[in-house]
Amino acid sequence: MKIVAAKKILKANDQLAAENRARLEAANVFGLNVVGSPGAGKTTLLEALFAALKGRLRPAVIEGDIAGSIDAERMEQIGVPVVQINTDGACHLDANMIAIAGQELDLNAVDLLVIENVGNLVCTAGFDLGEHLRIVVLSTSEGDDKAVKYPAIFQGSDALFVTKADLLPHLNFSVERITADMRRLAPNAPIFVVSAVRGDGIAEAADWLATKCQRRPN
Amino acid sequence: MHELSIVEALIEQVGQELDRAGQPGRAAKLELSIGLLSGVNCDSLRFAFDLLSPGTRVEGAEVVIDEPKPTCHCRSCNSSRQIDELTPHCPACGSDDILIEGGREMLLQSIEIEDQDD
Repeated sequence: MKIVAAKKILKANDQLAAENRARLEAANVFGLNVVGSPGAGKTTLLEALFAALKGRLRPAVIEGDIAGSIDAERMEQIGVPVVQINTDGACHLDANMIAIAGQELDLNAVDLLVIENVGNLVCTAGFDLGEHLRIVVLSTSEGDDKAVKYPAIFQGSDALFVTKADLLPHLNFSVERITADMRRLAPNAPIFVVSAVRGDGIAEAADWLATKCQRRPN
Repeated sequence: MHELSIVEALIEQVGQELDRAGQPGRAAKLELSIGLLSGVNCDSLRFAFDLLSPGTRVEGAEVVIDEPKPTCHCRSCNSSRQIDELTPHCPACGSDDILIEGGREMLLQSIEIEDQDD
């Protein structure tokens, strides 16, 4: 006897993610999932974006790391409400972790909930967390071939942030190549080339994010 | 090794499907679709399955995996072709004005149960 299921293997995660999304929408909060390799500059990018958004949006962050609370401490230092998730070895966040961590935050005092995923270009790709938008962060020092080598994460992302643009003169990183590869995988995703330490491109990226937040469902 | 989480979810889902079908026993065979661009390594998935399945309702089940390919749409020559790996160029005309779609599926397609003739 054969049972035809034809269901997503991660259906349970997807259902929890949909509940997370509904909870965010009920509180009029925009959810952003930030993925990328360890060392891509995700936290530094967030610090720069939050500085540029000061007075416009009230952010909060859920930090996902295998261990430690270094990133959460950085967020506390700039006065952003933060919850740290330690996955104890797991290589990605899932929707259930976000449901639990989200209870620690006062969503009524938040406009933008950023979920900084575990640094990983592979495992984070398949797990919807309940966000409205996912951005992938790639630093110039990682190389311009990453979209071809890790297509799933780029294909499913709504924007690409190329970080550490200040290093471009020292590297063989082709912005044209990564742009062309991203266009093939995600033709509608904008690409921001930024340097968080020098400020290049940050204002434009912050404006884009603010616009996305204003168009949130409620 | 997100394959471990995926197999955990799979085992739970098979249990739910068996319950829904009123089948108290175990699955004999599972058919999965794991797209080539899904980011899931099928060898790791099988390894995780061997690790997690003992003592569950999928213990000993045969796992058949179909790997759907992504499609390359070319905006120059209007062709749509399935491709085995990511390509920067249209396999038909060589243009780089292409769009890659699909190949990201992660589906439990079907469950087979051994007929109980006792």
